[in-house]
Amino acid sequence: MSILFKRIAQASLLALGLSAASVQAETAICYNCPTEWADWGTQLRAIKDKTGITIPADNKNSGQSLAQLVAEKANPVADITYLGISFAAQAKKEGVVAAYKPQHWDDIPADLKDPDGYWFTVHSGTMGFMVNVDALDGKPIPRSWADLLKPEYKGLVGYLDPSSAFVGYVAAMAANQAHGGTVENVQPGLDYLAKLQANEPIVPKQTSYARLLSGEIGILLDYDFNAYRAKYKDHANVEFVIPEEGTIAVPYVMSLVANGPNAENGRKALDFVMSDEGQAIWAGAFLRPVRADAMPKDIEAKFLPAADYARVQAIDYGRMAEVQRDFSDRYLKTVR
Amino acid sequence: MTQVASTTHIRMMCMLPAAIFFAACWLLPVAALVALPVAKGWETYFLVLTSSRYLQSLLNTLWLSLATTLVTVILGAAVGIYLARHRFRGRQVLLSLLTAPLAFPGVIIGFFVILIGGRQGGFASLTHSMGLGRITFGYGMLGLFLAYLYFSLPRAIASYTAAAESMDPQLEEAAHVLGATRWQITRDAWWPQLLPTTVACGAIVFATAMGAFGTAFTLSSQFEVLPITIYNEFTNYANFAVAASLSIALGLVTWGVLFLARLLSADANPAQ
Amino acid sequence: MNTPTMKRSPLLLLTTASVCLFMIGPIIVSVMAGLVNNYSRGLSSGLTLRWVWQVWDVYGSTVGASLGLAVACVVCTLVIGVPCAYGLARSRSRAARIFEELLLLPVAIPGLATALALILIYGNFTSLRQSFGFILIGHVIFTLPFMVRTVSAAFQRQDLLAIEEAVRTLGANFTQRFLGVLVPAVLPAIVAGMLMVFTLSIGEFNLTWMLHTPLTRTLPVGLADSYASMRIEVGSAYTLIFLVVIMPALWALQALATLIQKHYGN
Repeated sequence: MSILFKRIAQASLLALGLSAASVQAETAICYNCPTEWADWGTQLRAIKDKTGITIPADNKNSGQSLAQLVAEKANPVADITYLGISFAAQAKKEGVVAAYKPQHWDDIPADLKDPDGYWFTVHSGTMGFMVNVDALDGKPIPRSWADLLKPEYKGLVGYLDPSSAFVGYVAAMAANQAHGGTVENVQPGLDYLAKLQANEPIVPKQTSYARLLSGEIGILLDYDFNAYRAKYKDHANVEFVIPEEGTIAVPYVMSLVANGPNAENGRKALDFVMSDEGQAIWAGAFLRPVRADAMPKDIEAKFLPAADYARVQAIDYGRMAEVQRDFSDRYLKTVR
Repeated sequence: MTQVASTTHIRMMCMLPAAIFFAACWLLPVAALVALPVAKGWETYFLVLTSSRYLQSLLNTLWLSLATTLVTVILGAAVGIYLARHRFRGRQVLLSLLTAPLAFPGVIIGFFVILIGGRQGGFASLTHSMGLGRITFGYGMLGLFLAYLYFSLPRAIASYTAAAESMDPQLEEAAHVLGATRWQITRDAWWPQLLPTTVACGAIVFATAMGAFGTAFTLSSQFEVLPITIYNEFTNYANFAVAASLSIALGLVTWGVLFLARLLSADANPAQ
Repeated sequence: MNTPTMKRSPLLLLTTASVCLFMIGPIIVSVMAGLVNNYSRGLSSGLTLRWVWQVWDVYGSTVGASLGLAVACVVCTLVIGVPCAYGLARSRSRAARIFEELLLLPVAIPGLATALALILIYGNFTSLRQSFGFILIGHVIFTLPFMVRTVSAAFQRQDLLAIEEAVRTLGANFTQRFLGVLVPAVLPAIVAGMLMVFTLSIGEFNLTWMLHTPLTRTLPVGLADSYASMRIEVGSAYTLIFLVVIMPALWALQALATLIQKHYGN
């Protein structure tokens, strides 16, 4: 009963707290910090506990974030943003991000950061198939890109929209590389996605972790960390598959927004994310933290064996960023 | 100050706050928006006609909106006439339940469709238990159409129930006595009386369907409608010029249809 | 010969029953989904309120925000819309007709575009940009035409013109005419307009989605977030809260409308 009263009290306070937005707590605004992705929920809570800065969660994807940042360029609303690496390169071109070198800057490998500090990697993940085994209704787990084209998986496959979500673009480029394409020649990737349409894939625009867990999407082209989290944290019957023909791994980066309203809080948040504790939270969420020594051995043991990860191919992230716009155009024209 | 002179003056003062607000908060910003595509060249304004993908998207939207309007008007009229003529307990509650979806954001309706027609939805579970596999209709054209129907019907039901209450039953009785068939009564007695409502209601249903974004966004259907295309351009590296151009095109088409509808209803009611 | 058999048409009954099922069925399924432990197992997994509490914890503030915005929107459209409707109803000039046409345009242009336009021009004013006032402006722009057209049609009634003329010749000034005679006469239309504006504002998504910031979220925006990224039970629980809050408000307004209708006649 007392819990009920507590709830009612909380509820009344919340309902009356319309002005909560303007309370004098320390805040910072992050674009693209969804609670259900890369365990940002835990990260945001830790930031609040350790630095006192409240950052509300935000469900935009990389494309939406960039578009909103550009629209608001004259008077930004956000202080920091989290983007796929290719969107970050574009953000630098558009002039919406500022240079900032956080704590442990020197620990970041040179190819994973902008030399002036306009963006830097916080963690990376490997693309593959996130499979809800129960939703397959007894069908075998697909092991290769070619498997996904089989008619038995009709209606079961999903991937995020490559033209607005970075993870969608990565899935497309992974398929591209696996079929012999390169960043210069994206035709194999486009061809593959066009063929996949015959299996009626679901193509959402925003993070669809929950849809995979519920079985609404049976096989999602997503990262290893989301799959491991579903398997080990949420105890769902989920398997991660690194396709036989190969795949790629990509970094996610963060940037300080240029002329953000709470720039100092933004910097503190970025420092936290790069600190031992911040990096440990990523590791605990099965991402590969950019500071490699932050990965504990027991977590590493839960990943797929190294033999599987040997199938991950290298890709030039810089060029990947440069060809993204063209790829999106062609995707929207030819595949959808 | 004579009463006559102040009447004009008063009329102007009445409209002034609205005019100022509208000019500042819509005309000015949209003028800036209309000027955006110029940065990429004058041909950007005609993209909707020159690019096959955008043209297809516009045609998709038109087709879907017209189909929705047609079916909504027919079903809305049927329900409106029925509810106007039958008084039963709970009629008022039923009516308010039927018109409540007017307040629903498109997102809810998209997810209703997924709840019923998605892979884990009620319909798929039913067919699965019947051994037919999981039949999913939520993500295709049918799912989108049903969703559009869902948010359009409440408006039609509300309009037609009000209109049907003022329909003249004697006309119908006379026709029936003279031996007219059901079809003839519908055509000659109901249709003319409901025409003004049909035109007004149809116009607003059409306009809403043309601009609907939340529903299609949630369903991520393969049948692409123009509002989603605009969103795609917007998030595809902030391509504002093209997004603005397509928005203008969509606005012109929708406004054109609304204008036509008002012309038609003005013809029908010259006393206005 | 009996009374018209059209009254007992089975086709009309069947159509009405099907439409009712189509409209109300999903609401019931959604309510159920928000109250069960696990949607894929259905009712057998037991009923619970935990999803409702979870939603309230994370999104509770959006309920107050949306209600407040809707009420503010109604007040704004009343204050600037009703006089404007009067002015348009009594004007014969071209300018007035053009203004009336222009007022309708925000309904035709997609919300995304209007929102982008607002951000480009007024985004520079930080305190405005980051407040609910920015969203309010968008809502009023979108709902104003509905209020104006509804009330304007009512002002144009022939008998009202005669009454106004009569009262004017008796020496009443404008304020007395407006508040004492005109407004009460079109009260049913005003209340209908209020209902429409409230309904439109509560569910507005297209404009709000671009105008909001993570600190100024409304109910539809929060709903979209929760449906997109959280479990279907959470989204359904959120819908349940939405229904519980909206339905009484709508019923109250509708009851008010019916009451006014009875009091003030047609």
